[in-house]
Amino acid sequence: MRLAAVVFAASVLALNAFRVPPVAGQDTPPAQASSTAAAAQAAPPDIEQGKRLFSQNCSQCHGADASGGDGPDLHGVPASLGDTVVQGIIRRGITGTPMPASYTLSDKDAANIVGYLRSLGSATGSEKAAGDPAKGEALYNSSGCPVCHMVAGQGGSVGPELTRVGAMRGAPSLRARLQNPGANLPQVGEGVFGANRWTQFLMFRAVEKDGRVVEGMRVGEDSFTIVLKDAGGKLHGLWKPDLRSLEKEPGKSVMPSFKDVLSSAQLDDLVAYLVTLKGAQ
Amino acid sequence: MKTLLCALVLAVLLFSAPSRLLAQQDVTYDQLVHADATPQDWLMYGGDYQSQRFSRLTQINRETVHSLKPAWIYQPSHPLPPFESSAVVAGGIMYVSEPLSTVTALDARLGTKIWSWSAKLPDRIYTIGVHRSNRGVAVLGNTVYTETLDAHLVALDATTGAVRWNVHVDDNNQGYAMTAAPRVLNGKVIVGISGGDVGIRGFIDAYDAKTGKRLWRVWTIPAPGEPGSETWGKDMSGTRGGGTWGTGSYDPELNLLYWTTGNPSPQYNGSSREGDNLYTDSILAIDPDAGKMKWYFQFTPHDTHDWDAIQVPVLFDETIDGRPRKLLALANRNGFYYVLDRVTGDFVTGVPFVHQTWAKGLDAKGRPILLPNIEPTPEGTVIYPDGHGGTNWNSPSYSPQTKLFYVSAREVGSYFVIGEPKVDFPSFGGGGRNGLPADESYGAIRALEATTGKLKWEYRMLAPAETSTLSTAGGLVFAVTDEGNFFALDAASGKLLWEFTVGGASAETNLITYEVDGKQYLIGGSGNCFVAFSLP
Repeated sequence: MRLAAVVFAASVLALNAFRVPPVAGQDTPPAQASSTAAAAQAAPPDIEQGKRLFSQNCSQCHGADASGGDGPDLHGVPASLGDTVVQGIIRRGITGTPMPASYTLSDKDAANIVGYLRSLGSATGSEKAAGDPAKGEALYNSSGCPVCHMVAGQGGSVGPELTRVGAMRGAPSLRARLQNPGANLPQVGEGVFGANRWTQFLMFRAVEKDGRVVEGMRVGEDSFTIVLKDAGGKLHGLWKPDLRSLEKEPGKSVMPSFKDVLSSAQLDDLVAYLVTLKGAQ
Repeated sequence: MKTLLCALVLAVLLFSAPSRLLAQQDVTYDQLVHADATPQDWLMYGGDYQSQRFSRLTQINRETVHSLKPAWIYQPSHPLPPFESSAVVAGGIMYVSEPLSTVTALDARLGTKIWSWSAKLPDRIYTIGVHRSNRGVAVLGNTVYTETLDAHLVALDATTGAVRWNVHVDDNNQGYAMTAAPRVLNGKVIVGISGGDVGIRGFIDAYDAKTGKRLWRVWTIPAPGEPGSETWGKDMSGTRGGGTWGTGSYDPELNLLYWTTGNPSPQYNGSSREGDNLYTDSILAIDPDAGKMKWYFQFTPHDTHDWDAIQVPVLFDETIDGRPRKLLALANRNGFYYVLDRVTGDFVTGVPFVHQTWAKGLDAKGRPILLPNIEPTPEGTVIYPDGHGGTNWNSPSYSPQTKLFYVSAREVGSYFVIGEPKVDFPSFGGGGRNGLPADESYGAIRALEATTGKLKWEYRMLAPAETSTLSTAGGLVFAVTDEGNFFALDAASGKLLWEFTVGGASAETNLITYEVDGKQYLIGGSGNCFVAFSLP
């Protein structure tokens, strides 16, 4: 009887329990009072100031002229997303990506940066790229890229999918990666490695207790396990306490360098093709 | 006749089978003082008033731990991380708090929900610089005490979850919030407050356990003109902080409560608050009858790196140089491990337990000797440890068997960036921090000699983890990695003995252990799972 009463009381209480209030900011800089934001929007942006702030805060990932680097090309972004959204992204970052929140830029600073981006026009890197995308596509197919990379469902699964690579990266970083695939690997904010800036595509060399060596690119890791993908695209799941050694191989990559394989003009063509890849995943 | 006899035998057998009746009982103050005498229960945050987080249970031990398996899993009512609760178990019933401000009672053997209570929260809650979570409850008599995100203290009936009383501690619209487990003493409930990052004036409050009437308030920031106000520059306008968002420890013999304080505000820009900024980043010893501070010790004077001293003060007794001492150990967010005399507050020893790049060391009184160029700059200054610190709020543990202090050490630095010294609510910070590449950092469970801080052994983890440790008389230390791997180490050697992957982000609950019907359980959360492990 007593138990029944407890269960009844619990269910009555449970009816009151499912009410989740909206989430205000946590560990992120709050938006300033709306009156301040409105004032910031009312004043015309200072484009010179915006350019200076962009150079200091944004150019490392988005490129000196906002044409993209390890981060995307920003030409035309304010026009497609709207100034307010872009200002919000500058202030608060994008969770789950390397785009950080800014603790030092004010709403006015963000408005000036957006003003600068608007002044660049919306002609994207792909429209301004030096090479010829059609020639680049032919080179992509003749150089063996589809053996390892997938675009729109076609191609191999050894390397990363490139379906949206033109939306994620700018031309300079793609060119650099073709020449030196293992250098300056990108870092991710989230995904399989959790919430920090983990290096993507990092190579590891594991030696098992019996002396067998496994070398490959990290695709998943926790404190006790690691999964490596070898040059053939095969996955190796390893229990760390059983390994004799496990070492990072910074600078190495499964991907060959195309530095001496393709001419400078051919690299331009290939990059011009890659930056057109903005398809849905 | 024979049938009747059979029925009688059956009835006797049935009634002599292990009871399924939950042995719910009132928790007395005397039980709390002698928590080590009832290791089957886990009566409070930290396990005992000394916050040793050490269990006398031995069923799960060095020999048996390899067969530890999940017994049941509880998933919270509102599956929103971070799930940071430290459960309390009394008489076979577990009281666990959940985000945002929910308390649930479970059958500790089976994980069955008995009741659940959720605070009626306003549509908008200010939690700037505050995790939107709850870290546990306190139990005294047949009442469960819990804090709410919008800064209320609520007393619930332990059998039904019905509200006995609900008091408003302070104004959430000014940034005051509450996330910790209260500490109950004899007839009193002690609570701290969050919101130090948005310029609240920190305090520690005591409430009458029966009525909810406030008995006293100890401010952690002096009023203008009071002793300590001279450590805040020319005037104290707009500069505050000193949140008290942990759960203090207590010495019943000395009748002293030990409570830690958080950072000054704005936390990264100290230009508006020249001086030591008392009593931020400190530990306060409080007489809980008088509501008066007996002594304080400040770990990080004039902090500009967000190194709240909200780490757990662990009380232990040990002989040093032939003299028996009553001691207090605290592994601080600033990267140093401190041992203090808990009678006087005198500094005994202090050494770094992680890589740190801001102090040359500590002087004879425990004050840091600063290195040059450690202040945040517009471009960012790289300093170790990072803003989350060498360790954070998660409880360490101390084993009286090994005399070792087990702590989750975070080997990671960050860029500290200075910004405008804003303190007008709800702006905050005066700057910020940006992380260094994750592949250049790691975490470890470290065993330190409690009296000296000397490293005895370490067990490395992939990432800097915010995990508690739990040590047991079974010769074990338990912890959870940032990736959700639960594991057990040999408390003497640090050797890995058991691992189980739960996965899920934010494995920040404090581990506990208890025993019901002759079976020992280990409890902890990761992601949205609160997992009970036991032997088959």
